[in-house]
Amino acid sequence: MMRSLTTIATCFALTLTATARANDPRAVTIVEGAIDLTRGISSYAELSMTIHRPDWERSSSLVAWTRGRDDALIRFTAPAKDAGNATLKDGPKMWTFTPKLNRVIRLPYSMMAQDWAGSDFSYNDLSRTDQLLTEYTLELIDEQVVDGHAQYRIRATPHDDAPVVWGKEELLLRDDYVLIEQVFYDQAMQPLKRLEAREIGELGGRTFATRMRMIKLDEPDHWTEMSYTQAAFDIDIDDAMFTVFALQSGRSR
Amino acid sequence: MKMPLILLLQLGWRNLWRQRRRNFMLLAAILVAVGGVVLINSLIRGFQYDMMEDAVENLTGHVKVLAPGYRDDPSIVQGFELADGWQPSVPTAELEGWTRRVRVPAVVMSERETRGLNLVGIDPADERDLSFLGTVAMSGERLRDADDSHIVLGRELLTQLDTKVGRRVVVITQGADGLNREAGFRVIGAFDAEGTALEKAFAFTGRTALQRLLDTDAVTEISVRLTDDAHSAEASAELARELPSLQVMDWRQLEPLAAAMFEYSDAAIFVWFLIVMIALAFGLVNTLITAVMERVREFGMLRAIGMRPGQIVLQVLVESTLVMLLGLGGGVVLGMGLVAYFADGIDLSAWAQGVEMAGLRSVLVPRLMAEDVVLVTTLSLVLGLLGSAYPAWRAVSVKPLDALRRGT
Repeated sequence: MMRSLTTIATCFALTLTATARANDPRAVTIVEGAIDLTRGISSYAELSMTIHRPDWERSSSLVAWTRGRDDALIRFTAPAKDAGNATLKDGPKMWTFTPKLNRVIRLPYSMMAQDWAGSDFSYNDLSRTDQLLTEYTLELIDEQVVDGHAQYRIRATPHDDAPVVWGKEELLLRDDYVLIEQVFYDQAMQPLKRLEAREIGELGGRTFATRMRMIKLDEPDHWTEMSYTQAAFDIDIDDAMFTVFALQSGRSR
Repeated sequence: MKMPLILLLQLGWRNLWRQRRRNFMLLAAILVAVGGVVLINSLIRGFQYDMMEDAVENLTGHVKVLAPGYRDDPSIVQGFELADGWQPSVPTAELEGWTRRVRVPAVVMSERETRGLNLVGIDPADERDLSFLGTVAMSGERLRDADDSHIVLGRELLTQLDTKVGRRVVVITQGADGLNREAGFRVIGAFDAEGTALEKAFAFTGRTALQRLLDTDAVTEISVRLTDDAHSAEASAELARELPSLQVMDWRQLEPLAAAMFEYSDAAIFVWFLIVMIALAFGLVNTLITAVMERVREFGMLRAIGMRPGQIVLQVLVESTLVMLLGLGGGVVLGMGLVAYFADGIDLSAWAQGVEMAGLRSVLVPRLMAEDVVLVTTLSLVLGLLGSAYPAWRAVSVKPLDALRRGT
């Protein structure tokens, strides 16, 4: 389903087994609401991605399949230069495939913090899953009604021993669990990057942020936008889709 | 007739004074050469022993015990467990200290950067006499004990990661079951080693804290430091007997580059010394030949009044030996004076970058070794005698009559 892709793209997927040590029950409920939406559902989506830099801008198209919160396969379809490049995620493990080299590369953990496909999303943004509930303390710090929806601002502070580099994160969630904004702060509490919803719409029968932009705040004019053109939810996906073989064989159906 | 040696010495000594300027020049040349050789030798020795100590302190120790596969696959899977209360069976008098460590490859991440390094779980108390950690400059705090779950990084790494003491970094490494472990560690201190290589290569945390993260009781190495490198072979053999299933290696095997440089320095000292001394010997030969040729008439006269050729040879040798002895004595004193003058070390920090690249410390302290001085003096004397044999032979090869007939 759509949300689960959004999830992957925003490190927002949350585990069902999460036993929250968080201390604000309302904040936990809101975040868990998002979990319920993404639980064990498959999705197919077509997206366009725009990478913007001060002196250039590049657009590409991609297709993505997800299943549950663990499995995802993302493949570029345009431009021709990048077509076929693909990323497979299976639990915490990730592989990439480049048809020009005809090689599958298992991503070492040292690379997970690096940018994915030259964008402003890191591999971690794609692969991190349930951390918000397990590794953070969640607090509801603000509540407002905007355009008929209640919006909740939640502060997520990582536990002291959490495998999280951020100082804190702030999430802005709507009462229908649409993510409006997520800001990542460094440990000096300076905002480092911000994920924001640019358009909220309905696709494939669900309402979610159909256009999202990840903005690097320490580098001016650096952002990457993901925009959904097609989406389908609760579809049947062959088990073989999320395998290294499928990654390499370049299947797109 | 037999001439007493004392008379030859007297004659030689007076002859030296007949050519003051020339002999002073010769003396000065020997003085400078010997003094220079003594100083340079002790600088090379200083460099050599610095290198050995660095190699040993660089978490190596004189002798190290590893699991057999660890060098090919340095992970916790290649660890081993030690019985409680285990002690290395090295005589206490020869043992400076020992410790066990857990050393695993890891990835360290900050908000902005990611770096790979060796994460080492240590017993901070043990490291004090054992490795560079005992003496290294630190900002922030040191690890308190083996259970301390904070992390200490190198200063250079801190800069690269764009983080600070007090911040949290994320460490990713492989656990004993082969699966990955991730944990946040708070940085409590940064060490400032000489040279950035160590600063980038190692991060430290408490040993038992790291074992907890990796789910293991195993360690990956035992490191033993001895009071003197001379005991290394013996201690290695002893440890190999005690721990037959493990691999025992000394620092020469673990740091082959440093060991090769160490051997090379020995050769370098000798070669350097030979070159200087042979050059000096030619100078000596040259001066003596001139001196001898000037005195052909004198030697002819001495022969004519009954001095034996052998005694003339002996006299020339006595003269050159006197100069050599004076030069050597003065040269050694000069060299020792120079070494004493530089005893605080020569500050190379103006060339810090190049020096660090060459693996040198930024302060080079000369190390005067008695055997080097003995080598310099005896070899110089031998070379001096050999060098003056030819002029001496020239002195007696002229027939007395011809010699007398020559002018002057």
